[in-house]
Amino acid sequence: MTFPRRTFLKILPAGLLAACGNSSKIRLALNWKPDPEFGGFYAADYAKHGLDVEILPGGSGTPTVQMIGAGSAEFGIIQADELLLARARGNDVVALFAAFGNSPLGIMAHASRHLESIGDVLKNGTLAIESGLPYARLLKRKFGFDHVKIVPSPGGDLTAFLNDENFAQQCFVTAEPLQAKRKGVDVKVFPISDIGYNPYTTVMAAGGDLVRMNPGMAKNMVAAVGEGWRAYLDNAAPANERMHAINPSMEAADYAEIAEAQKPLIESSPLGKMTTERWDTLAAQLKELGDIPQAPPADQCFRDL
Amino acid sequence: MRKALPAAIPFLIVTLAMEWLVREGWIKAFLVPPPSAVFRTMIGDAPELFAALAKTSIGALTGFALSAFGGIAIAVFLSSSRAIQRAFYPYAVFFQTVPIIAIAPLLVIWFGYGMRTVVASAFIVSIFPVIANTLDGILSTDPALRDLFRLYGASPSATLWKLRFPAALPQILTGLRIAGGLAVIGAIVGEFIGGQGLGSVVDVARTQQRTDKVFAAVLLASLLGLALFGFINILSRIALRRWHASEQN
Repeated sequence: MTFPRRTFLKILPAGLLAACGNSSKIRLALNWKPDPEFGGFYAADYAKHGLDVEILPGGSGTPTVQMIGAGSAEFGIIQADELLLARARGNDVVALFAAFGNSPLGIMAHASRHLESIGDVLKNGTLAIESGLPYARLLKRKFGFDHVKIVPSPGGDLTAFLNDENFAQQCFVTAEPLQAKRKGVDVKVFPISDIGYNPYTTVMAAGGDLVRMNPGMAKNMVAAVGEGWRAYLDNAAPANERMHAINPSMEAADYAEIAEAQKPLIESSPLGKMTTERWDTLAAQLKELGDIPQAPPADQCFRDL
Repeated sequence: MRKALPAAIPFLIVTLAMEWLVREGWIKAFLVPPPSAVFRTMIGDAPELFAALAKTSIGALTGFALSAFGGIAIAVFLSSSRAIQRAFYPYAVFFQTVPIIAIAPLLVIWFGYGMRTVVASAFIVSIFPVIANTLDGILSTDPALRDLFRLYGASPSATLWKLRFPAALPQILTGLRIAGGLAVIGAIVGEFIGGQGLGSVVDVARTQQRTDKVFAAVLLASLLGLALFGFINILSRIALRRWHASEQN
């Protein structure tokens, strides 16, 4: 078949425009695939607040905090410690809404090892974690890594964990342990907050410029997301169905179960709200670890709109 | 020195331009670090970076050596008959298409964390160009020379080692040049999952949003690739200078 050159030239600009997307849309970048961790963002009725929002699903290592700084997304999902690192590197990002008041980050080990605490996990065997995260260095400082083999986190993959009884790995306490149980392995889960490290997680953030120059849009976004999370906590089914359609690699039943399991971590504080004390504590911890040169004032890090 | 000059000029121009763009605020430093910051990191973190480079070098070179010998051996085997080629060549293509990231968790199960996974990864991604180029070279011997060997009653093995293999050397070396760069990439991907060397440095620095350190590690990785490329060029010069146009003048 021959493809007339003229047709091609006519199609080309249209294709390019389509690839760029509609620039008037507000982009919300996720740092992982759609799953219950983002339920409220999918449940939100943005149109009601006059917003046309496009949610951009992410994956392992999606640099949402840099995307916000680069302007390739207006809003992004980040973790509180990431934001402090970003600000220290000159990336002006501001937290607006914290979905998880308590961090769902944890370490899971085989129940058959009868471990009592995180310290026990580090006494032998293998531990898969993201060594770049501040909590990893906090663990190292507290317990030392002399007796445990530290390997890279497989990012949600359970192959090595299921294969080796002495393998422990970083997890979201609401997600991977459930999947391990489905595969017939009994697990013991240790939340990282046990060692006093508890950054706000699944935090919606935006660039400082956007918050200053377009506070109305930021405020509407926070309102829409707040209502979305309320709706998701009351009835997760509609948003779960939508997320499952985009990310079918997770079973429909898992969506429902995780949505239920994560409720205590979300409802532990007034929905979405953050406090100066919590930000100060975290900043002090990161400074102590040498990740940031100085602790920034908390009011630069988050805004209550 | 005079030979290195043409290559140094684009490097200098790009480096200075990047420095200027970041200093003037056209590019944000947390997205692309100024070259001066990369060099400072390279000096400040030298012990960590060079220890990592040494590990990556061992992984990449071992993987590359296995690819070179394995790939040439497989290609010689495949060249022995049309039937063998039809039976096995499609499986060689498997190596070219295997998505290394997808089988990464399995590599770790099969080979364990550390060096062996890194070598396996470097090997898997770099063997195909050696097989394909070697085979192509062996099969495209000048028919006139082949007839000459037949006329003198040369045995198949004499034809292979005295004619077809030497005649294929330019293609084999091209295959090795491609494989060298791929072996470095494969080693670093292996290190993302196997946990050591420059791959691990990049992984950690990325989490810490240290773009300067990411670039420093990437720069060292490309130096490794360049060194490997240079080594193959020397081999090529030694092997081909007497008879092949590409290495004359």
